Amino acid sequence: MKLRLLLARPEVKRLVSCLVGVALIELMTGPSGSSTSPTAGISGSYAERFSFFGLFQTVRCVTFLFVALVIFGLWTLWLTWGRRWRGALTSASVAGAVSPVDVGRGRTMLVGFARAIVKFRTMTRLRQVRMVFLLALLAFATVLPHIETDPFWQAAMVEQIEVFVLLALGLNVVVGFAGLLDLGFVAFYAIGAYTTAWVTGALPTAAPFGIHLNPFFAIPIAIAIVMVAGVVLGAPTLRLRGDYLAIVTLGFGEIITIFANNLYGITGGSEGTNQIPHFSIHLGPINYAWGLGPVPYYYLTLVFVVLFIVAFSLLEHSRVGRAWTAIREDEVAAESIGINPLKYKVMAFAIGAASAGFAGVMTAGQTFFVNPSSFVLPVSILILVLVIFGGMGSIAGVVLGAIVIQGVTLYLIHSAPGWYQSSDQLIYIGALLVVMMIFRPAGLLPSRRRKREIGMAEAGEGHMDELLTGDTP
Amino acid sequence: MSDLIFDVDHVSLRFGGVISLNDVSLHQNRGEILAVIGPNGAGKTSLFNSLTGVYQPQEGTITFYAKDAKAMSVIGKKAHRVAGAGVARTFQASRMFSALTTFENVKIGAESHHGIGAVGAMLKGPATRRDEKASDERTIDLLNFVGLRDKANTLSASLSYGDRRRLEIARGLATQPQVLLLDEPAAGTNPSEKLGLANLIRKVRDDMGVSILLIEHDMKLVMSLAERLYVLNFGSVIAEGSPAEIRSNPAVIEAYLGSSVEAMDEQA
Repeated sequence: MKLRLLLARPEVKRLVSCLVGVALIELMTGPSGSSTSPTAGISGSYAERFSFFGLFQTVRCVTFLFVALVIFGLWTLWLTWGRRWRGALTSASVAGAVSPVDVGRGRTMLVGFARAIVKFRTMTRLRQVRMVFLLALLAFATVLPHIETDPFWQAAMVEQIEVFVLLALGLNVVVGFAGLLDLGFVAFYAIGAYTTAWVTGALPTAAPFGIHLNPFFAIPIAIAIVMVAGVVLGAPTLRLRGDYLAIVTLGFGEIITIFANNLYGITGGSEGTNQIPHFSIHLGPINYAWGLGPVPYYYLTLVFVVLFIVAFSLLEHSRVGRAWTAIREDEVAAESIGINPLKYKVMAFAIGAASAGFAGVMTAGQTFFVNPSSFVLPVSILILVLVIFGGMGSIAGVVLGAIVIQGVTLYLIHSAPGWYQSSDQLIYIGALLVVMMIFRPAGLLPSRRRKREIGMAEAGEGHMDELLTGDTP
Repeated sequence: MSDLIFDVDHVSLRFGGVISLNDVSLHQNRGEILAVIGPNGAGKTSLFNSLTGVYQPQEGTITFYAKDAKAMSVIGKKAHRVAGAGVARTFQASRMFSALTTFENVKIGAESHHGIGAVGAMLKGPATRRDEKASDERTIDLLNFVGLRDKANTLSASLSYGDRRRLEIARGLATQPQVLLLDEPAAGTNPSEKLGLANLIRKVRDDMGVSILLIEHDMKLVMSLAERLYVLNFGSVIAEGSPAEIRSNPAVIEAYLGSSVEAMDEQA
């Protein structure tokens, strides 16, 4: 009984969660067991000799106990000081100035900082400031390949970051704008890539009309085919809602992968093809060929990333974007003012698919091979994670989400610290998502609308998560 | 024969074995404020949902006569088609787009007529800009009309019940309807808001020429607003007539707990 009372105290709860959390991290980062001594992984994780921050040698559990206590201390500090700090921030934003009550000994710096943040936030609402900021980012993106010359990163920036930014942008239209849960988004990516392989003549099946195009001209064809695929999948299935739609799209994603794997004579089966030529353009006086190096591809993709960002943000703030919001919030009410939900949902599917299709062309053209293993379910889930992590419905958010998650993953692959085991990658991403869901449930850079919706759903208002309710108004 | 806007002819609506509407026939004249009253579960909202294409009755016909257009059979049409033809509505429990502001809510209604699709939006050409401007102006006009101009940038979820009703009415009017269906507009509002709503509803008809079809429990409001009433009970029409006729109709009194008009007021 006494123990229960003790455990119920908030500071004890905090301490226990710090200890448990750190013990789990200790186990994960520790050595692995083997078949002869299966418990070696566990005992080693706690008892192995370990350096205490380079100061002296001790065992792992001592170092980690220290880490747990530090986290506990910081957490407790945050609860007392952080609340005050946030209070200062709110009063600063409400009054435009900090009230004299908050200004005390030792807190002046804090308040100054709060004031600066509020000022920054107000400034970013200004259109001109935003434009300058975005142009600066674009300039940075333009010079980036000249700053980072490591070939690993140069290739990764195209294959892993830009391509996934495109995929996240596309899925954001479907999930973030229209509110449709698509678990098979990778299918559109695959169709884009295989279409490229097909029209360039790289597949076992003959190219259309026997003309072998180069991937540059595959871009419009692939985007068109992928959009048609979006309509073909969307028109019959988008009558379903919520979980049902998620299952159907999941199935669609699997079907495409299985087709790619098993239609040996058409797709090349599990080996796929590695015959895709490089991009080149020959139009009158313009002659340019993209070679083996990743940097030219980086710029080509960057152009399209910018195009898609501009197009999608215009779309978000247009009639179409508002109609999507209306459908997402309350489909029955949207219908009552003359909005055809099916039409707008299919439109979201097709438009979202377009950028995935382009991502497919880029992947195929740059790496010159496609095979089914790049288009499996975990990739669909990853794209969804990027969108949720960045902030559903927020274009800046999903771009940042894709860069952060992919960047961290690549960093761990390329220059992993000693304790990192690549098989643990998903555990870390999962932990990151759990932490994010606690502290920033609407994503890194949430969209204003979506943030309101999530806030209201938590307060029990609004219709956002009423996925399974009937139509009865 | 007067100018009809709605003609409901022998309509029956069933959900499995439950009969929701039983051989209902009624009509509304253009420009009329018509009310449908009845006890809870009498089928009033089912009637509304049938009129707006949300429910599909198994028997009978519902015809909507739009001005300067062909008569349209409502049954079998999707809700958004019916709305597009000129039938606007509000909901019993108000349904707004709660993460959007008052202005955005109404604007969505105002632009549901414009034909600019995704391509136009992405290019943002002059036609799109013109439409945007037109719907902005229309939205402001309507917010002025319903008296929500000063709350244009308020989040719709933080509006009072009375203001939510006004917002729903403005959103419905934004679609340029010929008839506005109001499902219990006074539910959850206080007496002064009720009075304001009654005036607004009358103004919608008088200034905009929009016919009004009304479901309401508040007898005082119904009797002061409606020019003609239908009474529904257990899915059937049991009476029709002017407010005075309905007050003294024995079948109606029977339906409302078998006593006087005071009992009807208490029902509200």
